Amino acid sequence: MTAIEIRNLSKSFGAVRAVDDVSFTVEAGTVTGYLGPNGAGKTTTLRSLLGLVTPDSGEALVNGRRYAGLDHPLNEVGAVLEATSFHPGRTARDHLRIMTTAAGLPASRPDEALEQVGLADAARKRVGGFSLGMRQRLALAGALLGQPKIFILDEPANGLDPAGIQWLRGFLRHLAHDTGAAVLVSSHVLAEVEQTVDNVVIIAKGRLVRQGSLAELTGNGGGAVRVKTKDDFAPALRAAGAEVEEVEPGVLKVRGLDAEEIGRLALDQRVLLTEVAHERSDLQSVFLELTGEGAGA
Amino acid sequence: MTNLIRAELQKLFTTRLWWAMALVMLALTSLGLVFLITTAGAPAPNGQPALPALDDPAWLPLALSNANGNIFTMILGIVLMTGEYRYQTITGTFLTTPKRGRVIAAKLGAGVIIGAFFAVVSLLFTAVVAVTAVLIGGGAVDLTANRIPQLAVGVLATMILYALFGIGLGALVRNQVAALIGGIVWAFVIESVLSSFPALQTVGKWLPGGAAQALMSIDFDTGLGESNLLPAWGGALVLIGYALLFAVVANLTTTRRDIT
Repeated sequence: MTAIEIRNLSKSFGAVRAVDDVSFTVEAGTVTGYLGPNGAGKTTTLRSLLGLVTPDSGEALVNGRRYAGLDHPLNEVGAVLEATSFHPGRTARDHLRIMTTAAGLPASRPDEALEQVGLADAARKRVGGFSLGMRQRLALAGALLGQPKIFILDEPANGLDPAGIQWLRGFLRHLAHDTGAAVLVSSHVLAEVEQTVDNVVIIAKGRLVRQGSLAELTGNGGGAVRVKTKDDFAPALRAAGAEVEEVEPGVLKVRGLDAEEIGRLALDQRVLLTEVAHERSDLQSVFLELTGEGAGA
Repeated sequence: MTNLIRAELQKLFTTRLWWAMALVMLALTSLGLVFLITTAGAPAPNGQPALPALDDPAWLPLALSNANGNIFTMILGIVLMTGEYRYQTITGTFLTTPKRGRVIAAKLGAGVIIGAFFAVVSLLFTAVVAVTAVLIGGGAVDLTANRIPQLAVGVLATMILYALFGIGLGALVRNQVAALIGGIVWAFVIESVLSSFPALQTVGKWLPGGAAQALMSIDFDTGLGESNLLPAWGGALVLIGYALLFAVVANLTTTRRDIT
């Protein structure tokens, strides 16, 4: 069964179309990065998935059901939303104890979850004195309480220091690849998730821009080919259906043909190429290209 | 549901508000008792005793009605609900219990326990002080006479129902400061005017404060004329009606609102 399924989801707030006909799925055992600039509609999508926001149309399902219909939601889905949702006067452990009680989980879970996220030492400290990074870890501990197989995390790297981000990457990979969980993690900073995710879904201005595996998006498929030649090769390339851009005299950026096709065409046309190389655009440039703005980088 | 009610109680008892509220309640109750003890039997300017003396059987019920700390259970009720919005813990609460009506129901259940707890604390404290005062003042103590059991039950019921009233109000208003100010102004100013003057009691008796007075059958002659209150059972029904009305309205609104 598909762990997470978003189907034609739309949601407006007043005149603002926050999410516009978005569809994607997340399978068990994979980490999917949900990427887009701030305000792209990521949080609204995730909150719809968690039953906090009612979509105008479409569906957002976990394990094939609406979140609001789950009898034991913490056992199925672990969620990390913004890191501010704690009572400052309550200790970390008490925060988790309340969730544990309400969900009817074993009383040992709070301490185990705190141990798992490296917060055991701060268990009896009031959350008011926590750094943003500690709050993120506490939120993650809350998501782990019911030992679910689906994780939904909204910007979990916010406020983490480089060591914390490193730890988070490893932890998310461990959840997906070792325990078989489906992980959906949103971010507006590509670099944070680039080394973690298996699949990427990119959203901008409420609309889905691109989705695919990391390999598809970073590999040759999406990139252009850089061709160096002193001959007049552009007309032939265009005739073959390619999109050609002269970056500088003698250097062409070619889309629509791969290096082999370009080489074959050059051979046919008796054109001398001095360089043929795939522009290995990393995800970052794909991201910027697709979202059409530099926001969040 | 038992788990959810226990979780709601944990929410209150894992922060510091509850004992601050208990201390303030006992401090105010003490002030009232000091006033009642020092003015007991003191003659009013016109020569009539304004208040019964300590050895008068009518003094103890008067002292006991002073135990009513409904304002505090109302505040706790308001905070139990609005605190979730103030600190955005409502997100986690609805993630743990996505069936939102169950959350409201659990809070009302917890409100009954919290209201009863505070009522018992206040009644016990008042009883110990007041009985001691009566014995020192040379009076006899009979806790079954002079409507004392009815008064005690009235205080208990009133404090419970005000907790529920606060929860309903909080769910409706959501903004903590607005709900607190609104609730306190309502209870201290508007209601006390409307339920104190017999001429206004035609309206006041239908309000929570008037209903609470009816429940305890406090109809001491305040010199303002004869009271016009509902019977005790009528007062109880009016209070339950308000709590239910607020809860239902709150349930209808919170279940439909997006949490963003």
